[in-house]
Amino acid sequence: MTRRIRALLRKELIEISRHKSSLLPIAFVGVYCLVLAIGLTVLLPTFTGEKLSEDPDYLKLSASIVGYPGLSADGRIQAYFFQQFLLVFLFVPISVAMTTAAHAVVGEKEARTMEPLLATPLTTSELLIAKVIGALLPAVVVTVPELLLYLGAIAVFSEPGVLATMITWRSAAAVGVLAPGLSLIALQLTVLFSTRVQNEDTARQLAIVGVLPFGALILAQFTGHLWLSAAALAASGIGLIGAWLLLLALSVAAFDRDRVLTRWR
Amino acid sequence: MLSAFHLTRKFGERVVVDDVTLNVGCGEIVALLGPNGAGKTTTMRMIAGLIRPTRGSTAIDGVEMTERNGSQLRGRIGFLTEAPGLWDSLTVRENLETYAGLYGLARPAAAIDALLSQLRLTEHASARSAELSKGMKQKVALARTLLHDPPVLLLDEPTAGLDPEITKHVRDILEERRAAGCALLVSTHNLDEAQRISDRVAVIQQRLLAFDRPDALRRKLAHGHVRIRVAGDATPYLDAARVFDAGASARGSELWLRLADAEATTPEVVRHLVDAGADVVEVQPEQAGLEEVYLHFVKSSEAAAP
Repeated sequence: MTRRIRALLRKELIEISRHKSSLLPIAFVGVYCLVLAIGLTVLLPTFTGEKLSEDPDYLKLSASIVGYPGLSADGRIQAYFFQQFLLVFLFVPISVAMTTAAHAVVGEKEARTMEPLLATPLTTSELLIAKVIGALLPAVVVTVPELLLYLGAIAVFSEPGVLATMITWRSAAAVGVLAPGLSLIALQLTVLFSTRVQNEDTARQLAIVGVLPFGALILAQFTGHLWLSAAALAASGIGLIGAWLLLLALSVAAFDRDRVLTRWR
Repeated sequence: MLSAFHLTRKFGERVVVDDVTLNVGCGEIVALLGPNGAGKTTTMRMIAGLIRPTRGSTAIDGVEMTERNGSQLRGRIGFLTEAPGLWDSLTVRENLETYAGLYGLARPAAAIDALLSQLRLTEHASARSAELSKGMKQKVALARTLLHDPPVLLLDEPTAGLDPEITKHVRDILEERRAAGCALLVSTHNLDEAQRISDRVAVIQQRLLAFDRPDALRRKLAHGHVRIRVAGDATPYLDAARVFDAGASARGSELWLRLADAEATTPEVVRHLVDAGADVVEVQPEQAGLEEVYLHFVKSSEAAAP
């Protein structure tokens, strides 16, 4: 990472630290996912007296959880849902971080801080990388403790042995490869649009349209229409990181200093 | 030094800057004068490598600015933009630290401390930019511009909206930078300021209307009026004065003449008056002020426009 990226990144992080409330939505959706997952798989069956395994659809869905002989049918269903919520859990905070990314270029322009910034030796790729990482890092910083909380809640509330189903290559692929790849794509798309439109809302809305296909994949996964193995998740993640590099190159080519300074009002 | 060759910039069909060629040498301040919308900021942005000229080129120390070397050459320029452009939620020091990193300063803390002290901003170093007055923000922006000790300074309205004390301070700093060998291009509406600090003046209104030393520009507009004060009443010497200007007049102790070539003729007039018995106390050629020069060029340009 170049010194200039580090300098701009530091500034981005200071700005976010001064506006901590902007991180609240990320924290909120994490807690929401946690409550929903525990509520659906642990609390609801306890209060209604109906076991998860009484639902044949749930049994069918949880058939993908194999290789845990000590786990009951309810435990397998719990494990299935926790794994599905894990993907949502990883995806949702990034969609919130897109707000920060949407502010990236158009926000500098609106605050009239872009011109002195562009007058420095900072290159376009350095500017855009700093903006993407500046949006990604706070989301990661908030999400990681929430992820640990999620795993802790599973350990406490679910059947013994369910937590072990979470510590898998599949989860590792989801957390370590797919989530970063997806995040980079989403944030780079937002930054790309942020360089081409005149307000943050438009940038965010366009980027959401851009990442909708990924959202559809996760929805299909969540509803059981699609089950991606660890290898498939890892391959998807690596593909997404490659796509991000292409998107970064496209963003650099599309970033027109002249247009940013002269056509925006 | 900086050079601009035939700079032209169009926005669509509208020509904002048309064929401007100028240069600023080391240890020189050039004031860029022009009415609102004359193309001053656009010219500066082109020289700073922020926007592309439609035609023409710019060079820093003889190196032509291109897409390839833009990043490197921008590191040799300090550009004070029209708006201070500080990050409001960052403190003064944090703003400067960020730019120190962007310019790759080897000893950022020392450079920042020195500038804060020079601009009398030390006690505001921990204040967030949003809390600063307009004048303070402008000083911080100036500190940011000077931080990497650039040999070329482009300053867009550096004293606009500042109180007289801060204005004087800023002018002193600009003169220090000139003494240090910097090339300074200063856009301003303030003709008094231009007259005080600049070595040369460039008047632009889309095109470069005039580019010369202030006194040379004033001479170009000189009307040849000469005021000669004598001891006592000037009326007895009116006939002697009318040898050179039939329309000469006397007002109290002063004779007023209009001479075709004042610089060459005035000594002869003085000798003639002395021969006629006048005690000449003072001779004052009446030159046009910079304001008059500026208005002359701008109005002539407007009159010539289709």
